[in-house]
Amino acid sequence: MALVNLSSPHHHNLSKTSRLMMWVLLATLPGLAAQSYFYGYGTLINLIWASGLALGFEALVLGLRNRPIVPYLTDGSALVTAFLLALALPPFSPWWLTLVAVLFSIVFAKHLYGGLGNNPFNPAMVGYALCLIAFPVSMTQWAGTEATLTFGQQWHWFWLESVTGGIDAWTRATPLDLMRHTKGLTLNELAISNPQLGLGLTASMWVNLAYLLGGLVLLAKRVFTWHAPVAMLASLGFCAGLFHMGEPDLYPSASQHLLTGATMLAAFFIVTDPVTSATSRKGKLVFGAGVGLLVYIIRSYGNYPDAFAFAILLMNLSAPLIDTYTQPKAYGHKPSRAPSQGDKQ
Amino acid sequence: MHKIWNFHGGVHPNENKTQSNQLPIVVMPTPKQLVLPLSQHIGKAAKAIVEPGDYVLKGQLIASAQGFISANIHAPSSGHVSAIVERTLPHQSALSGPCIIIDTDGKDQWVELNPPTNPEYLSKQELLNLIHAAGITGMGGASFPSTVKLQLKSDIHTLIINAAECEPYITADDRLMREYADQIIASIQLLQQLLGHPQCLIGIEDNKPEAIAALNLALSHNIGQHTNIEVCVIPTKYPSGGEKQLIEILTGHQVPHGGIPANIGIVCQNVGTVKAIFDAIFKGQPLIKRITTVTGKAAANAGNYEVLIGTQVEDLLAFANVDMAKTSRLVMGGPMMGFTIQDTQTPLVKGSNCILAAADLELAPVADHHACIRCGQCEVACPVDLLPQQLFWFAKAEEFEKAEDHNLSDCIECGACAWVCPSQIPLVQYYRYAKGRVKSLASEAHIAELSRIRFESREQRLINDKLAKEEKRKNRAVAAAAAQAAKRAANPNAEDPIAAALARVNAQKQAKEADAAPKSHAEIYKELKTAAAITRTKLNKTSKALANAQTKDHELAQDLQASVSELTAKAVEAQAKLQAYEAKLGLDPEKEKILLVAVAKTNATIRKLEKTLATAEDAQALEEEITQAKAAHQIAAQALADHQVTPTAKPASAQES
Repeated sequence: MALVNLSSPHHHNLSKTSRLMMWVLLATLPGLAAQSYFYGYGTLINLIWASGLALGFEALVLGLRNRPIVPYLTDGSALVTAFLLALALPPFSPWWLTLVAVLFSIVFAKHLYGGLGNNPFNPAMVGYALCLIAFPVSMTQWAGTEATLTFGQQWHWFWLESVTGGIDAWTRATPLDLMRHTKGLTLNELAISNPQLGLGLTASMWVNLAYLLGGLVLLAKRVFTWHAPVAMLASLGFCAGLFHMGEPDLYPSASQHLLTGATMLAAFFIVTDPVTSATSRKGKLVFGAGVGLLVYIIRSYGNYPDAFAFAILLMNLSAPLIDTYTQPKAYGHKPSRAPSQGDKQ
Repeated sequence: MHKIWNFHGGVHPNENKTQSNQLPIVVMPTPKQLVLPLSQHIGKAAKAIVEPGDYVLKGQLIASAQGFISANIHAPSSGHVSAIVERTLPHQSALSGPCIIIDTDGKDQWVELNPPTNPEYLSKQELLNLIHAAGITGMGGASFPSTVKLQLKSDIHTLIINAAECEPYITADDRLMREYADQIIASIQLLQQLLGHPQCLIGIEDNKPEAIAALNLALSHNIGQHTNIEVCVIPTKYPSGGEKQLIEILTGHQVPHGGIPANIGIVCQNVGTVKAIFDAIFKGQPLIKRITTVTGKAAANAGNYEVLIGTQVEDLLAFANVDMAKTSRLVMGGPMMGFTIQDTQTPLVKGSNCILAAADLELAPVADHHACIRCGQCEVACPVDLLPQQLFWFAKAEEFEKAEDHNLSDCIECGACAWVCPSQIPLVQYYRYAKGRVKSLASEAHIAELSRIRFESREQRLINDKLAKEEKRKNRAVAAAAAQAAKRAANPNAEDPIAAALARVNAQKQAKEADAAPKSHAEIYKELKTAAAITRTKLNKTSKALANAQTKDHELAQDLQASVSELTAKAVEAQAKLQAYEAKLGLDPEKEKILLVAVAKTNATIRKLEKTLATAEDAQALEEEITQAKAAHQIAAQALADHQVTPTAKPASAQES
């Protein structure tokens, strides 16, 4: 048999990028289930629609770029983007909103920058931020928890009524939104005057716990290291705790911040995107902490109720800078402890 | 128990060691032919001291070390030197190099051996001489001449014996320790004596319990003596057997960047080397054999073999019953850092610890690699704490300076990053490429720097020469003036010779001018025309050069600018002179042009007619026409000549024709 000429190593652990992506997709399922339980089928319909669109756009652009379609399509990265978008979009977002978001994510944010591995910004967050700015009303109307539509109703609404009819009947402001616009009330007074807040917070907490579960699975499977999510949660929790201690009537507590909005989804599924975050472990700590800090600032003082898209895009911008200053000390570059006679044993 | 530290990163590939470590070492019979490369070690190649046709005995020196970093080579068996030729070397490049070929005679007859009677009483230098004479190099793979490491002047407090054998598949050291533990311990004691009695730590991975037991048993034989040797069992993790990694595991210290272990008081020796030193000192035998693992699914008799250095791979594979039809990848060394060979006549050398005859799909298949998503698994695996993903991007973009900033040169090419890469990128290959480019760029820069220095010193030399000449000339002038003055002083009435000479030259010039025949108008006109044309051409050329220089050389451009203005003035002047003369002659350039055209026209008519004549039937009529045309041509030419010479407004008859 002809002997091949290959360069070392000749061994491989046979891991694959597509398998990593598959684990990420699987780990979103608890969150998806919780979201559907509390807010109806909107997220699920969105997810299916977004996945189809993402694969379609990905194949189209790969074709335009003369890239092999099947190997790239099966790496799963387009599906991950679609899942993240669908989970982040409000359950009552209409079909065209999802279309715009996916189009912008896959075509503009990802492929125009060179495709997988070359995009400086998290594609899902670019699509999300675009929609948030362009269609603020649709993007900030979250589903209510008290009565969910049947699948058929939701389906009908998604395709038809979303264009013609209003959605006010089924949607509410998110708890984060409520807590920010207190109209001069303390948080306690607000909770008493508005029973929606308590219900919303509970639902949000369960959804966040479900994402936390998925995230822990990924951590256990070593899909990513703990650095970025832990730093992000710690920094957000620290800021919230500090302000809550000072003014408990005005500022929600750390646990409320950690368990509402998209906190856990972002911590384990978005901040951990390796392509657009900092590379070294130290860099990931800085990256995560930066996201946490920015989220707290925007949530508390910004114009938008939740802030992950902007916080993450801002930190994506800073990632190269972080990389420059967080390069680990390689072997032999650490200031060496002078070997002493005490080492003789 | 000695404290064990951890090192960053590392991976756990399947060990695959049981295939080859179950059976005792088998001595392979002497092959028919041995191939001994003159360069089996790091450093200068040895120099052959035998000639084709010579008869050599087993253990006889056949090539001697050249310089400090080099090693002797001995005949592994008795026989005739049949040739000294180029053969494929055991290296990734598969380049060839000079090898001594020995056709063995099967007698295996030893040269006379003189082992020292009491090794314990030998001095440091005597021990070093023996080790050097035996041609011993590191047996772990890198083949660094051992004496270099052992005679460093540093104060050594720890001797580390590398028995980790962390590469999958390889079990040569494992079997060696099981079977020769006593000899290894004895040899270590000699090394301790040689190095000034440092502590000795034997680093061995915990996947070799039998070898650990054997070493401990051998140590217990020495009970009562204070050996200061400890067997340190370390967790199995690739690449714990890397010299720097093992040092960190056993001492917690890192060898400083760019330094060697001796800088922190440590010397590291492979356990195989230690055994070779035993043979050299206790038996007087040079390094002519080693233990090599043959393994892989294509090897029916996988195991460890004692082979003579210079045995060709195909002989060993045949002896181990390797089915060559089943293997597509022949790796020399381990699967993580070994290299593939294609020429099965490649010889085994002092550092050849393993031949892995892999069946199809036994090792990682060659996969199309995907895009890097910076997942960071490589960073987690890197034992040197580098950022492999960044190095990959830099190597790919040819940003070698950045790669250097990220400590590319510290990469030990262990392959852990490529082993974990989910995109299956051949990372090590990228690093090797980048390292090679960095090296060649550095040497190019070095050469450029040398040339610059050479150029500058030449320029300086030329300036100095010029100045010296000037100085000499000045001195001469002063001396001449002084001599003149002295002469004049001596003879004040004499005529000034310079003035006289000048007067003579002037007189000659005037005479010449007077002699010269007066130039015709035509000649003067031609001269003026030529002068105008020359200055124009010069001006054009210089302007072009100026345009060129403006973008590049500021000083040159300034000089050129000056000469352009000068030339412009000259050109204007020449043109003015020409026109003035034309006016004086009454020449009309317009008319001249018309005349020229007429001449050309008539000329063309003649040509055309002549051409037709060649094929025409009515030749007579044509010839007449030609005669007419010739006459017209003559008239036109005459008119032109008249016009050019005589400054009259006489109309040219050419116009009529």
